[in-house]
Amino acid sequence: MAAIDLADALARRKAAGEGSLLVYLMVDAARRRRLPAVARGLADAGVAGVELGVPFSDPIADGPVLQSAAAAALGHGTRWADLLEALDVVVEHLPAAVMTYANPVLRRGLARACGELRAHGGSALILPDVSLDESGPWEAAARRASLAVVQMASPATPIPRVARLASRSTGFLYLVARYGTTGTGQRPDLAALRDRVDAAHRARPALPVLVGFGVRGPPDVRRIRSAHADGAILGSAMEERLRRSPTATSVERFLGPLVRAAA
Amino acid sequence: MPRRFGAFGGAYVPETLVPALAELERAWRSARRDPGFRSELRRWSRQLGGRPTPLYPAENFSRRGGGAEIWLKREDLLHGGAHKFNNALGQGLLARRMGKRRLIAETGAGQHGVATAMIGAALGLPTEVYMGRVDIERQAPNVQRMELLGATVHPVTAGRRTLKEAINAALRDWIGSVETTHYVLGSAVGPHPFPSMVCDFQSVIGREIVAQSRALWGRAPDLAVACVGGGSNAIGTFHPLLRTPVELLGVEAGGRGDGVGASSLTQGRPGILHGAYTYVLQDAEGQVRDTESVSAGLDYAAVGPEHAMLRASGRVRYVSVRDDQALRAFHWLAEDEGILPALEPSHALFAALREARRRPRRSRVVVTLSGRGDKDLEVVLQHGSHRPR
Repeated sequence: MAAIDLADALARRKAAGEGSLLVYLMVDAARRRRLPAVARGLADAGVAGVELGVPFSDPIADGPVLQSAAAAALGHGTRWADLLEALDVVVEHLPAAVMTYANPVLRRGLARACGELRAHGGSALILPDVSLDESGPWEAAARRASLAVVQMASPATPIPRVARLASRSTGFLYLVARYGTTGTGQRPDLAALRDRVDAAHRARPALPVLVGFGVRGPPDVRRIRSAHADGAILGSAMEERLRRSPTATSVERFLGPLVRAAA
Repeated sequence: MPRRFGAFGGAYVPETLVPALAELERAWRSARRDPGFRSELRRWSRQLGGRPTPLYPAENFSRRGGGAEIWLKREDLLHGGAHKFNNALGQGLLARRMGKRRLIAETGAGQHGVATAMIGAALGLPTEVYMGRVDIERQAPNVQRMELLGATVHPVTAGRRTLKEAINAALRDWIGSVETTHYVLGSAVGPHPFPSMVCDFQSVIGREIVAQSRALWGRAPDLAVACVGGGSNAIGTFHPLLRTPVELLGVEAGGRGDGVGASSLTQGRPGILHGAYTYVLQDAEGQVRDTESVSAGLDYAAVGPEHAMLRASGRVRYVSVRDDQALRAFHWLAEDEGILPALEPSHALFAALREARRRPRRSRVVVTLSGRGDKDLEVVLQHGSHRPR
């Protein structure tokens, strides 16, 4: 079956007034065998899409949980080829974006990497260390492969720049909830978040704005929705859950309340 | 202030840091034009730092080469025992001007951590330093110095537990604390504007070399040599000499000689690490490779982007020197001149001696002696290469 496009899926939900939950999964060669069950669990729980993470040796935007996940994945010999294989599995069930740092993509070659991601059903590329100002060549390569490039904004981003980020972003706008790395930090400043969501919506009314970093449970997701965002992204908390219990049932049970909070 | 050096440089950072880097660039642009800031910087450099540092004729060491005269730019005599003071002072004053209330830093050999701790104490800014666990062990005296100076040292236990991981940890701290904190990045690496700004603060080395060599022998040296890890003492030495005919030689750490060591310019390929597009030691998957060097300060998988451009353009020649060669040069300088050099510039000393040997007696080679070797005694003694004369 043809892969579903993430941008389309998110846009459809947004148009219907429905919120979305995205889930980040670190690609790990040692987890290859249980990925189909996990992907099925995610789909059954009602998750809108998956971000597949490519491990990098120096993940500066990641907190302790995803740092150790990346180190473990690299220790298991995870390579670019494992990402393509994981994409094949995941897009059977859900639309998928790929999230990684600049260097693994650059080393692969921008055009080649983007072409491969698209050929394996990927919808979008998210690069936390490629800011808007360096994004040009990456966007050009992605555009040629019909791949979206998701820009990221943060509470530190001035409002006019949020509008610029929203105008340039494709697929959705990734709004970082708080100062700090993934899975860490203080409670988000909801007013600051809402101002940024609203600025993005004014600039691009149809573009979904999803909020991630430090999202742990349904109350976080409800707060994010109350700040007018179109959904939330779950990373470190999902990784911790998978370490404890990587079955489809457990995944579905864990995500159910989060999906409902996002809706 | 260039954002790129040819194709190299840029600012590959998470969005949270973008406004802070822009603020830093604005603050630095305004400070460098401000006569008040410049005179404050000069005054602190003189009164606390001990600038200018001497240019010293290493006559006995030169005789060992039997060729060109070797002169030492004595940055080891600067307050704290290394060139790192120049940059820590400049960024500390800038942080105070920006109203930041806290300093963070990474350190490899500990020299930049010590320099930042000194400046933090002098300016009344609480200072926290990230240092790899391996470096904490091999540079213990510097850890004690930082703590005595009132800084908090955070051990970093990820990866190979050296400089690269310490920078990762400092960047992560900064992403969470950027509203109140200035990250005093210790080398000419990282995202724009750090490479340009650090070069500006370190260029006092090269400017003094130009002035002192003119005063001493009426013209510039024939060759300037400096060691390159991230490359801050080297860019400070080279930058004022780029538009002159002076030959420039950068010396990377070759490690034991059976791998890549820490020679990103001679063994790496272009990639993105710590916010800059530069030469990076990496594998076919774009993962950053482990480095190894006897000197913690050179033990780094990338290099400042301006060096990447200078290598690509051929203006500077870069070579690699092994651990055992650097250790030999350490002992030679100690025995010939009564100076204990740090292991980092010991790499440059070895290369300088090799170059001097091939040159006529009337030519002059300046080596930047970027730091003193007290911190390295344990490592040197462990290697047991000392042989009494």
